[in-house]
Amino acid sequence: MAKAKNKRNSKLADTVHAKRREKEINKKKLNPFEVHINREKIKVLGKKSKHDKGLPGVSRAKAIKKRKETLGTEMRLMNKTNTFIDRRIGEKNNHLSAEDRMVARFAAERARQHSKKSIYNLADDEILTHRGQTLEQIEKFDDPRSSDDENEDGGKFGGLDDDFVSEGHFGGGILSKTDLKDGAKSHKDLIEQLIAESKKRKAEKQKEKEQTLDLTEKLDNEWKDLQPVVFKKARVENESIIDKLLSQAEKKNQDYDKMMRELKFEKRGTPSDGLKTDEKQAKEEKEKMEQWERERQQRMLGDFELSAPAIQKSAGKHRSADDLDDNFELEDEKEFMLAYDKDGKPLVPEKILKDYSVPNAKPKFDDGISDTSSEDNDDDEDDNEEEEEDDSDDDEDDVKTEDESDNKSKTNGEENFTKDEMKRGKIGMNKNGLLHIKNSEDGDSDDNSNDEVESDDKESSQIETQKKKDQKLLQRESNSKGSSVDEESADQQEASKNFANNIKGKIVPKNRFEESSDGEDSDVEDNEQSEKEMIDDFKDLKESDEESEDEVMMKDVDEKISSFFDLKLAEGDNLKELLSEKTPSQQASALQKLIKSYDPSLAENNKELLSRLFAHLLQYINDLFIGLKNEGEIIKSFLIFDKLAPFFYDLSKTNKVSTKKFLVELIKEKHDNFKKRHRLVPDLDTLIFFKLVSLLYPTSDFRHPVTTPSLIFMSEILTNCRFNDAYSISRGLYITALILEYTVLSKRLVPSAINFLRGVLYLCANTSILYPVQVIPPFRFHKDVKILNLEHDCSTMEVESKMAAKDLVLKSIDNNFKIKCLLVSSTMLKEFFDNFNDLEAQQCIFEPHIRLLGRIDFELYPKKVVCIVTKIMQYMKESLEVKTYTPMTTEKHKPKALRLYEPDIQEIFTGSKSSKLSREEAERRRLKTKYKKEMKGALREIRRDKAYIASVKIKQKIQSDNIRREKVKQIYKEASIQQGELNKLKRTK
Amino acid sequence: MAAVQQNLSKMVSAQLRNKATEFLNSRKHANNLADILQMFEAETENYTPLLLTIEVIFTDLLKRGDLIQDVVPLKLIDCSPEAEYTKWLRECYETALTRTLECVKRGRTSSRLQALVTACKLMQAEGKHPLESSLGYFFPSVRLKNLFTVLLDSETLMSAPIARFQEFTEYRDVQQYGLKVLSTIAYKKSPTSIYMQNYLELLDKLLASEIPTETKIKFKDRDIDEKEEKILCGSENKAPFPYNPGVCRRYANRCWGFACQWPLCGESRTHRRALLLLVERLMPLLAKPHLATDMLCDSLDAGGPISMLALQGVLELVRRHNIDYPDMYDRLYAMFEPEMFATRYKKRLLHLADVFLSSTHLPEGLVAAFAKRVSRLALVAPPEDAAGLLQLLANLLHRHPALKRMICLDDTPALMSGDPYVMEETSAERARALGSSLWELRALRRHAAPPVAAAAAALLAAPRPADLAPPDQALFDAELKKRFKTIEMNFARPQGMHAQNVERLLQYWELMA
Repeated sequence: MAKAKNKRNSKLADTVHAKRREKEINKKKLNPFEVHINREKIKVLGKKSKHDKGLPGVSRAKAIKKRKETLGTEMRLMNKTNTFIDRRIGEKNNHLSAEDRMVARFAAERARQHSKKSIYNLADDEILTHRGQTLEQIEKFDDPRSSDDENEDGGKFGGLDDDFVSEGHFGGGILSKTDLKDGAKSHKDLIEQLIAESKKRKAEKQKEKEQTLDLTEKLDNEWKDLQPVVFKKARVENESIIDKLLSQAEKKNQDYDKMMRELKFEKRGTPSDGLKTDEKQAKEEKEKMEQWERERQQRMLGDFELSAPAIQKSAGKHRSADDLDDNFELEDEKEFMLAYDKDGKPLVPEKILKDYSVPNAKPKFDDGISDTSSEDNDDDEDDNEEEEEDDSDDDEDDVKTEDESDNKSKTNGEENFTKDEMKRGKIGMNKNGLLHIKNSEDGDSDDNSNDEVESDDKESSQIETQKKKDQKLLQRESNSKGSSVDEESADQQEASKNFANNIKGKIVPKNRFEESSDGEDSDVEDNEQSEKEMIDDFKDLKESDEESEDEVMMKDVDEKISSFFDLKLAEGDNLKELLSEKTPSQQASALQKLIKSYDPSLAENNKELLSRLFAHLLQYINDLFIGLKNEGEIIKSFLIFDKLAPFFYDLSKTNKVSTKKFLVELIKEKHDNFKKRHRLVPDLDTLIFFKLVSLLYPTSDFRHPVTTPSLIFMSEILTNCRFNDAYSISRGLYITALILEYTVLSKRLVPSAINFLRGVLYLCANTSILYPVQVIPPFRFHKDVKILNLEHDCSTMEVESKMAAKDLVLKSIDNNFKIKCLLVSSTMLKEFFDNFNDLEAQQCIFEPHIRLLGRIDFELYPKKVVCIVTKIMQYMKESLEVKTYTPMTTEKHKPKALRLYEPDIQEIFTGSKSSKLSREEAERRRLKTKYKKEMKGALREIRRDKAYIASVKIKQKIQSDNIRREKVKQIYKEASIQQGELNKLKRTK
Repeated sequence: MAAVQQNLSKMVSAQLRNKATEFLNSRKHANNLADILQMFEAETENYTPLLLTIEVIFTDLLKRGDLIQDVVPLKLIDCSPEAEYTKWLRECYETALTRTLECVKRGRTSSRLQALVTACKLMQAEGKHPLESSLGYFFPSVRLKNLFTVLLDSETLMSAPIARFQEFTEYRDVQQYGLKVLSTIAYKKSPTSIYMQNYLELLDKLLASEIPTETKIKFKDRDIDEKEEKILCGSENKAPFPYNPGVCRRYANRCWGFACQWPLCGESRTHRRALLLLVERLMPLLAKPHLATDMLCDSLDAGGPISMLALQGVLELVRRHNIDYPDMYDRLYAMFEPEMFATRYKKRLLHLADVFLSSTHLPEGLVAAFAKRVSRLALVAPPEDAAGLLQLLANLLHRHPALKRMICLDDTPALMSGDPYVMEETSAERARALGSSLWELRALRRHAAPPVAAAAAALLAAPRPADLAPPDQALFDAELKKRFKTIEMNFARPQGMHAQNVERLLQYWELMA
């Protein structure tokens, strides 16, 4: 135990000792009988052994000595509570001799004597205390009057005059007597003078003290008078606060506290990134962009290229040492048991069935020829079926007629309802459709039956209520934006009330629209003349965009915005109202305001509202592009779309999922419409959404929920439709440009677009029957040939380089259109061509195009156009000529070497197992062994201590026994002497 | 107007129903029948209610046996009012039948179909309750013959009624008697094309339910006994109908024999129909199928779908009847043209090519040329067809391991200045495709349609046999059904219609000025 306590020190001491001892040993000859040589079990070369020999006697003696000093003293003091402390100066210091010790003690004594300052003043050096405190201290603070008593007479001789002292104490000499005026004073006079003087001084002191006392008292009084003046203001304020309402007071108090604290503790800046410099910001922006770009490219690659290595990785199963890496699987796949169900069909996984299917089995073709009906009769049959259905319907109607007459009002309402839906074009508004139905159900019970009758009366009143409600809403919104959920339910109730009203409201614009379109139909001829004026108008419109400042309108807008989502049914109309009859930029700003005022951060359900707004906007755009008849309208629509497009992005960014759903629904519906008449190119109300998709979503992704279907849709249009007039060809070129836009980053192959260009060039070229160039469906060989072929010399004609909006409404193909078609399609062709520069198949894809270009009568075309087109042709030819072909090879992968299992070589071989273990385990092991060692050592020490204690005890015992024996012997001796003396006495008697 | 008419027709049908029930209930209202028959002349469009009434009346009458005349031989004709009435009824029945058959030609399609059904129903009723009481099986062949004469009209196409007639050809007796009747009336010197089409269609429908061949009969004798044959005119208490497949085949052969004499190949539609009939139905039934070889070979040269169908017939001949056809592969090769995408037979063609090229004894160069051509076509094909072509290509590469060199050459690659393959060459073997590589697959890997791109990539990695079955749904719908974890958006907000970096539409279109 003792040893363990200061083992470190002892170790250090040991080494020092050992060194010293070694020196001594070298000097002294060791007694060979005292040396014990330790046998070495394993000899390690170059290792110095410290323990090859030991001195048992010496070390034992040392240990015993140490125990004596530690354990021994401890034992001696055992069970003894008091201790003897030696405080004599220098007693323990071995360096001092006895003489020095004495000198030091004497000096200390003298110093103590010396410290008494005035031996004559009694009790001067004593400090009186009262309850631990000196009286001085107590008096100083409690009573200022008695404070200065002792402090004042800090004089050297207890307040006596220097003259008096010098005369009284040291005077009396002969020489000094002559100086006295009234001769030598008697001792009695002297004493009296002393007394008088001291009395006088006391009185003076008293007087002075009283004066200061008076002064302080006066000061105190004056302070007390002043006090109310100083604190008066605060008190008055406090009282006024109490008067006020508690809640307000608390609030204000809090505010006050807050402000006070703010003033008290200086406001700390929140820990944030340091202000970024423009440079840094730009850099970060750039990095972000690069990151996005990298992600985009990753997505562009598609999963099939990424998945291949992933599969290999996942196959990290158990592998035996004999595995040859030849993918031989030993009964790895689960064998299936052949079983049959009730009908006798085998219950087998499909993929297995596929493996067993025979290619020669007779197939069933559904290509129509197996039917009896030939192509032309298909339609007839359809008609027949429809008729049959009609018939059956009629039968049902028979039964229903009576019911119908009862519910006439109801059905009327429903009819209106359906009409209304028809008018909406059902654009991706399934959800709204549902809402419609729901609302109508709510309303049906009480309102719908009598709406027809009362609607006129109601309308006016409803308008009023509507206005009131708007105002209310404005207020409410300014107060609190959180409670809109309640409003929603209220809205729904009112919505059902307004149902009939709305229906009426919707029918009216529809009629207007029809009228206008009718009017346009009749005005087609006039349009051409008035078109120029229109264009001028639009220029004005464009210019006026910049300085639109109608504030009245803006106010109007604000009102509309605030009540925009009040009625679910009216949202679409609201939007139309909001945006109609405005310039594009006004529309944009109105929309921006609308979106801002319904920012998702402002209320919970704003996000949902905005997604609904997205649907309405889609509807709006759809309506905008429906049935455009002249150039002006098209340009206007595109201008509006141009302004509104960013908001589509904003809206879809806030609510990705639902907006995607709306857009996809829309595209799906357009696709369904297209499928019904798949020879007809869809109009702009479909095509515009492809552009929208490319604005919103990345077109380069390998697979994307929106862009992939729209790209497929576009390519289907180009594959299936007939292109034989200006309408279809212009739209085809529009689609092709969009496809180019979709694939420009990913450089994907869209055969239909390339085929379309081939077809257009075919229509342009002067094809002869002798040397035919193949075309690909939908273009047909020797059909519609040369409709784009230029017949007249137009070499002097001025032609713009771009297709224009008017080409979309062109009635018949004119020379201008023909030239532009050639120009645009060949420039697009070049871009497609460049997309596939790295492919060998480029040649077979584009060779027909080049041949067709060669067939064009260039002398008829304007110089500029010819220049561009021939350049493109030349470029393509040249780049195809220099193309080289290397046969396809896969990367040669090395033959797989047999898997060799390397021996487990450890960098440092310690022989211990711990090197293999993990870090924590090794640490644990180390600590365990250390603990074991220490335990052992401690036990041994304890054992030895015990032995030492036992030896000491036995020694004491022996000693005490000896003493006792001595004493007994002494007693016996004395007793025997006594006895002897007694016997002597007896004998003498 | 339409509503008024509807109401009118409803009223008429209700009236007719009343009349019919009155007539059937008592003879007092016998004149009703005459009235009804009179109404056929008044009506022009929709005969349906009339036909239905007639059907009801006469089925009932036949069931009751009111029409049966007791003709006792060597006895004067009975002049009792009862007999008179029966006679009158018989006359009415005949007129009703002729009216019905007239209606098959006239009026609305629905009423035409109804007329056909009525005729057949009446035929069924008569078969079950024949006019002359007999114990054995009876089939009113005369009625069928009349019906067929109407159906084989020379002026109008009868495809709709004939298609409807298919539901009756399922009955074994109709099939057998139909073939018999058809073989008797078919002979005609120079029929019009419409007649031929009607004829072929009718024959096609008659053969719609498979006629078992002899070998099959031996095997499945028991099965047939067990299986319930559908008989139109059979009834419980009469002798069963003796169905004889051999007889059927004989009649079918005879029918085809007549048709063979006509100029079937004159018009393309007739030609197609004839070929389809031959290939799909008749081939296994013919006694001497190789007689059709000439026709098939001629048709092979016609081009388009006709040659494709002919090719299928030739394939059948080659496979089953030991006929050798010299340059069949070149013909097949010539069919792989871009025009095939516009036809409806592309799937059939792909399947045929797959079967043709499944032989492992074909020269490598030939198969390589096919592979090359298929991949070239895939470059210009619509995505759905491109996927099908890729499947075919996968099968080719899988079955002919030598073609592996077209996607990975083991020798040291030499630089070439052009593709050695000659697309224009008509002979597949001389197209020098073996020296070429399938570079087209690399282009297809960049196809815009994800499934096609994935298929091409998989093909480049390791060709594995694919099922030629077309996908269940169109590509567009399939893409819409795909699920995505995230919806990626463009990272740059558009400032207008102008997309950043990628704008092409406005590069070629001036839409806002």
